[in-house]
This record gives sequence, C-alpha cells and structure tokens, in this order.
Amino acid sequence: MLIETRDLTKSYDLGAVQVDALRGVTFGIDEGEYVAIMGPSGSGKSTLMHILGCLDTPTSGRYSLDGSEVSGLKPRELARIRNKKIGFVFQNFNLLPRIDLVSNVALPLVYHGSISRSERFDRSKKLLDSLGLGHRLGHRPNELSGGERQRAAIARALVNEPAILLADEPTGNLDQRTGREIMTILGDLHSGGRTIVIVTHDAGIAEQARRTVHIEDGRVARETVV
Amino acid sequence: MNILESLQAGFRDMASHKGRATITMIGVVLGVASVVAVLALMRGGEEQSLAFWEELGGLRELRITNTRIDRLMMSAAEKASERLTYRDAIAIREECPSVSYVDPEITRWLNVSYGDLTYRMKVLGTTGHYPYADDMPVEEGRFLCDKDVETHANVVAMGPTFKEDLFGEEEAIGKTILIEGVPFRVIGVMERKEFYFEGDGPGNDRNVLEWFNRSHYIPISTMVKRFSITDRLDGLEVAARTVEDVPALTEQVRTVLTRRHGVEDFNIDAKTDRIEQQAEQMVFFNIVFWAIAFVSLFVGGVVIANIMLASITERVREIGVRKAIGGSDRDVFLQFLVEAIVVTVLGGAVGLLLGIGMVGAIDRFLDMPTAVAPSILLVAFLCAVGVGLVFGIFPAIRAARLSPVEALRYE
Repeated sequence: MLIETRDLTKSYDLGAVQVDALRGVTFGIDEGEYVAIMGPSGSGKSTLMHILGCLDTPTSGRYSLDGSEVSGLKPRELARIRNKKIGFVFQNFNLLPRIDLVSNVALPLVYHGSISRSERFDRSKKLLDSLGLGHRLGHRPNELSGGERQRAAIARALVNEPAILLADEPTGNLDQRTGREIMTILGDLHSGGRTIVIVTHDAGIAEQARRTVHIEDGRVARETVV
Repeated sequence: MNILESLQAGFRDMASHKGRATITMIGVVLGVASVVAVLALMRGGEEQSLAFWEELGGLRELRITNTRIDRLMMSAAEKASERLTYRDAIAIREECPSVSYVDPEITRWLNVSYGDLTYRMKVLGTTGHYPYADDMPVEEGRFLCDKDVETHANVVAMGPTFKEDLFGEEEAIGKTILIEGVPFRVIGVMERKEFYFEGDGPGNDRNVLEWFNRSHYIPISTMVKRFSITDRLDGLEVAARTVEDVPALTEQVRTVLTRRHGVEDFNIDAKTDRIEQQAEQMVFFNIVFWAIAFVSLFVGGVVIANIMLASITERVREIGVRKAIGGSDRDVFLQFLVEAIVVTVLGGAVGLLLGIGMVGAIDRFLDMPTAVAPSILLVAFLCAVGVGLVFGIFPAIRAARLSPVEALRYE
C-alpha cells in the first residue's frame, strides 16, 4: 500500500477547550488509485489532508507513506518528503505572484537541491507544454486566467515526480467549465498511472474518483466504490 | 537550496519590491554615511593636533621647568639649589645615554639697534640645537653652531619679522647690529613659521607660531657673559634619540638633576604626555561622536527589522507555499536573512559613497579638518553588514518558524 493510516488522531489545544479534529482514522490507498475524501466542513477532512501531505503531524496513530513511517519525523525530514513524494494542488492555486510561470513550476526542483538550472527549466517547460501553457512561460500568475493558473499549479505539483498528488478543492475557485477541464486533466493523470487523492465537499466532483472516503466527525463514516 | 540560490532569490525579490527595498536601504545608507562622517571628523581632528605637535618640534622632546616653590616654605636643600642652569644642560648632555641634544634657553628683552632704529626685542640665548631649529631652518645664512657657543661669539640669527622691521628688503647677512650697545654680526635669518587651525573658531585666523618669527637667537654663552648675571635658564628642552627613548631619558634626566640640585625641584614634561592629556580631553567628544554613529546605525537596523517583519506578514502565504513544496525551515530562514544582508550590503555601499560625499562637503563648506582612511570605510561597511545580520536574524527566525498549515490558511 502507498498510504496506510492506523488510528490517526489530531487534537488542538485551544486553551480552555480541546478540539478533536480526528478521532481515529484508519484507511489505506493503493498505488494508482484515484480517491476522493469527502465530508462537510468541520468534519476533519482538511486536517486529514494536511497530515497525509506531511504538512502537519498527528497527535497519535501511525501513518506510513510509500513504505516508510512518517508520523515521528522531524520538520526537516517532513520537508524533504513533501518535496520528493507529494505534489500539492490548492483551491486558490498558491502560485508565487512575483515570479514567472516557469520559475513557479521549477521551485520544488530548487529545493530538491541537486538539479541544474537548465534541467530545472527544461523539465518545467516540458510540463507546461504538455498542459497547454507553453506560450505562457514568462508570464506572471496574475496575467493568467484561473484555469491557466490551476494548470500551472498542477505542473508544479508534478515536476518532482511525486508518489502522490494531493488536490484540495482544486475546482473550488473555478467556474464550472474550467472546473471540468481541470477534472479532465486529473482523470488523464490517473489513467496515466498517477495516484491521486482529492479532497472535496462536492459530490459531483467526488464522483469522478473511483473510490470515495466519507469523513464525518473526525472518523471514516463509510466508503463508496464506483 | 544553497547559498548562491538564496542570493539570487534575494536579489530577485529585492528587484520586485523596489519601494520596500529603497526604504530599508535609506536607513542603512544614512547610518553608514553618518558613521563615515563621524569617524572622518574624529580622525581629522586627531591628525590636525598631531600635525601641530610635530610642527612644534617633534615628539621626542622633554621640557624641564623649575617647580614653583613658595620662598617662605623652602627647605634648606631647596634654598641651596641653584635651580636649572646652563651647567645642568651640559651635564645632561654629557651623562644621559638616551639624549640626542639639549636646548637650554635664556630669554631677555633687550634693545636692538640698526642705523637710527632701536627696538626692544626678545633675544634668546641658546645653542646650535635650538629646539625648533630642525623644523625651522634658516631662510638665508646659517643658524648658531657649537663653535659659536664655545667661543662666546657675537653673532645673531634674526627672526623674519624683526629682520623686516630693521632692514626691510635690504640684505641683512653680514651686517652688524647693536644689542645693548654690543655689536653682533648677523649670520642668518630664520624661515617664517606658520600654523593656522582650520575652521572659524576664535583666533583661527592667527598664526599661532608667530612668536617664533619675533625672536633673535644668540649663543647662550654670549648671553651669560654679556647680559646675564647667572646662567640660570628660562627654559630647558632635551630630546631623546627616538620617541621610544622618551621614558628612559626622563628617568636619566631626573637622576642627574636630582643629584646636582640635591632635591627634586623641577618638573619634566614629555610632549607625548601632553598629547595623551589632550587625547583624554577628547574622549568625551569621541564618546558623543560614537553615540551619534551608533544611534544612526541602530535606527537603520530597527528600520530593517521593522520592514522585514512587515514583509513577512505580507508574505506569510508565500512562506506557506514554499514550505508545502519542500522548503525547510532552514531554507526559509536563509532566504530572509540573505535578503536582509543583500539590502544592507547594497545600502552600505551607497552609504559609503554618500559618507565620502558628506565628508567632502564638511571639509569644503564647514572648513573642518577631516580624514577618510580605508580603515574607516571598512569599519563603517562591516558595521552595516553586522546590523543587517543582527536585525535580519530575528525576522528570519520568525519566518522560518511559521507552521506551514497556518501559513497556507493565512488570508
């Protein structure tokens, strides 16, 4: 299994009250799967995605990614895993506004450490080409449409050849037509063998995935398989 | 991400935030410029006073004076002492190994005549080693020599001011003048000596060395023989072989004179001591100067820290994104620190130029002594980089410690 969690919990200590965002999540994702994590807001699905994406650490429980345990790692090691094994796609794109598209896409390679400038450029350019943005390399994000920005963000998520693509409401800031366009790209990536986890509260989006994990009240409520 | 990448990113980021970078740099620029100006002023003052002492006759000289003693309070030994005499001067010259030359001096105000002109003038009886002779060569003719002193010769070297008073443009060398009716042959005319303090201070248009120009010099032996009842000296200066020998010579002179006088009824002042005293008086001003420079740099540093903190708030989301795609705490820390250093180094460089310009303006328009040395520029520049490091570290740590989840959520 690519992802395996056992009894993941996450509690936030807000002074007087303790908030239990996750109350024991156990599930797994195989390589090549296309999984949607669904749930109403406040269900804990965002917390789960942060932990799966190694942006956050669980309070208790185990989480193994690509065969190695990550729940006890230090921030620095987590940063390396985020860099090498995980590609993020965010609802609001999160491209850096001051640098051009190709630099945005190449940024994970910069943190990777051992890749030359020209190779970084070549790989980023190739990805942008394949996503139909070859003519936008030198543009800044604010010169692009929402769909173009999200496609660039997908390119950035893929540039390090991650084991898993984590998409958090990837169509949330897009109109319907552009949203469908992005979902088509994700579908194509899945067909090409990528493991994709998409977090959404939109049942229509979740339907695109082969399997849906419903999170309610910090637990896995049920799973549906198409 | 390595340092080079961080540097490039730092420059890129600065280029894309020109306004912010400019404001930050202004703080550093003014700080560095004021450090340069302050240090240059301090150094200029020091150099000028050093130049004054050197013009006055070198730093290896000791001035020996009689201690003032109330006659009623004198001990028997003090009464018995002849005080400083020409013989003491000779004894010092013979007995002190560290001595280079001695300059005894007896001063009298005497009537000097040439033709039908008579003036009352200051006449110094001295030797060929008159203290300032090295630094005050004769304009024409020659100064006194040891042979003049040995033979009680009736010869005189004239100060340029009185030479003009008596002779005008006329040739003086070889002429005979009368000092208290005794004929003296003019052997030399001294070179004019001048020193003006810079600036508009009171009396700064005066030649502070004019008194040199208004004296005549005759052999001290002649002075004793013709015009003085005793060989008691009005002044005695002795010179050490080198500046390093000054302490040794001080002790040797003390030993010889105490033996001869039977009591220590004299003072020995080294010029180096006087310079030290002057430096001590300057300490207060230096502290004030340093305080001003320090405050300027500190203000520059606070500006850097403040703007960087503001820029971090503005860029929380960027920090979150960078962390999400694999930037470690260290990468983010370096990025912000490098940005601070890039700004301060550039600001420091501009500040150096501005500082040099300010110093030039001070020199020119305020007419104050200044001196810019490479060491000053280096110190000011290192101060700037230090300020960038110190005040850049705190914001950089703050940026590095942001949690990625919270940073991404930040609106």
